[in-house]
Amino acid sequence: MKKILAVTACPTGIAHTYMAAEALAQAAAQKNVEIKIETRGAVGVENPLTPEDIAGAHAIIIAAETDVEEARFVGQAIFKVAIAEAIKDPGKVIDAAVNLEPAKTNDINQAAKNKEERKSQITGPYKHLMTGVSYMLPLVIAGGLIIAVSFVFGIEAFKEQGTLAEALMTIGSGSAFALMVPILAGFIAFSIAEKPGLAPGMIGGMLAAKIGAGFLGGIIAGFLAGYVVQFMKENIKLPKNFAGLVPILIIPFIGSAIVGLLMIYVIGTPVKAIMDGLSAWLANLGVANAALLGLVLGAMMAFDMGGPVNKAAYTFAIGLLGTGFYGPIAAVMAAGMTPPLGLWLATLLAPKKFLSEEREAGKAAGVLGLSFITEGAIPFAAADPFRVIPSIMVGSAVTGALSMVLGATLRAPHGGIFVLLIPNAVGNLGMYVLSLLVGTVVTAVILSIVKKNKATV
Amino acid sequence: MKIMDIINDNTVFIGLDVNSQEECLKVMAEGMKKAGFVSDITTYLAAVKEREAKGSTGIGFEVAIPHGKSDGMVAPGLAFARLKTPIDWNSLDGSPVHLVFLIGVPQAAAGDEHIKILIALSRKLIHSEFREALLAVKSPTDLYQILQDI
Repeated sequence: MKKILAVTACPTGIAHTYMAAEALAQAAAQKNVEIKIETRGAVGVENPLTPEDIAGAHAIIIAAETDVEEARFVGQAIFKVAIAEAIKDPGKVIDAAVNLEPAKTNDINQAAKNKEERKSQITGPYKHLMTGVSYMLPLVIAGGLIIAVSFVFGIEAFKEQGTLAEALMTIGSGSAFALMVPILAGFIAFSIAEKPGLAPGMIGGMLAAKIGAGFLGGIIAGFLAGYVVQFMKENIKLPKNFAGLVPILIIPFIGSAIVGLLMIYVIGTPVKAIMDGLSAWLANLGVANAALLGLVLGAMMAFDMGGPVNKAAYTFAIGLLGTGFYGPIAAVMAAGMTPPLGLWLATLLAPKKFLSEEREAGKAAGVLGLSFITEGAIPFAAADPFRVIPSIMVGSAVTGALSMVLGATLRAPHGGIFVLLIPNAVGNLGMYVLSLLVGTVVTAVILSIVKKNKATV
Repeated sequence: MKIMDIINDNTVFIGLDVNSQEECLKVMAEGMKKAGFVSDITTYLAAVKEREAKGSTGIGFEVAIPHGKSDGMVAPGLAFARLKTPIDWNSLDGSPVHLVFLIGVPQAAAGDEHIKILIALSRKLIHSEFREALLAVKSPTDLYQILQDI
């Protein structure tokens, strides 16, 4: 359907602006034409036309006797009419606009427009999540690949002060990965509450990282900040002279304090309890039942990728490594590699179920998976948590259990594919690789089944 | 927000008997002064006429909405007249005017709740059911009832 836009404005801004808007809206409704009308009157600009509106418009009606910032309509089909005419004969004005030849747009514009349309179909919390993920994605890729390069110099090379490996680790892990959760949370909040949401969101995200709540904590922080700020925007009413203080003083100050305190006291406390509880439970479980332990550790590694559950499993395995049990750390590492590897394989098996951006990210995820940088799976998990997280948990649980049962061992705490090349670092190498492969395939197959098709390929 | 803040019995003229636009505006503006909306009739009417000179506020369908933003206004106000005999208003569609809403706002007023009412009224006037209801009012109370809902 052709979408028509209109702008109405008059010098007094009390009568004609709104009568014209009403008349056009009424006529458009009668003719079943979709219309959006911006009014510029005594109460300011209302229902403003966004760049997306303008890009997607068939034609724009200007019924105005004052400035309407026409520069933003360059390249669009415009129908100018006296405001009185729009009131007197709105039907004719609508017809004229509908019959206008649309302005010629080149293919790039068209593509951008289509993309906008597609994005605009995604709404609600899912849209906010996607916004956060798409801003986070470059950080995951930058950090992950730079860390992987650091491993090339040796798994522990970054521990040497002043080396290139250390510099790369500082860039990748100390900076890019450190920004990941704040940016995710910040832009989720931004998507909900626009600019005022960004600062409280990023602060909440930073705290999520600090309290060890990982990216799931970051998602919570983002939604928390977004809705808190949105609520403040809608409900704090100050006298006109002070209204400007809301976005620049009150929201940053009070909004961030509310979000921050909630993160520390309401989210932080249970997170710590979960970690402590899981650690105690794992210690209790012991190493007696190898298959069960591998299964549990694997699933935990994939659950929140850097969050409390993942950390509890990893710390437990590291602890055992110190006391001479090499099986659990092998299971943990393999289980941490399968989520990004499985996602990479899934983008190849079922490309239609991923956005083009995600398919590209899939290639990087493959490299990150090989390097035991589980974070490579986070953008996928954050964008579609209820389908992706269970899928990768199953795959990782299978890998963890197989690795334990088949007797694979590992004498290094990290390193992914790079340690496999070091002689004697891995015991039962063939079986270890087999567990990895099986888990990766299981992850990818489940993902291919449970993920939904994306509307456009 | 109450409609009675911007209109009252002093500014409602049902069956007003006037012969010209000039006379109509004068009578209505005097009512607005009596109601306390206008402090300086001359300044206010000058603003209204200046607006009228830029283009008729006879918007068609027998309705006119003369209006002015002026220092002569103390508070936003509204006057309503249903004319006994329709008069010429250089309307957009050439038809004589039967219903007149005279609107006044102080120069400084913007973003005010009262202005929102006037805006809502302007929007409503486009709808024929609303105009028919106005043509049928018998008393100021009838009018307030109709305006209450906008």
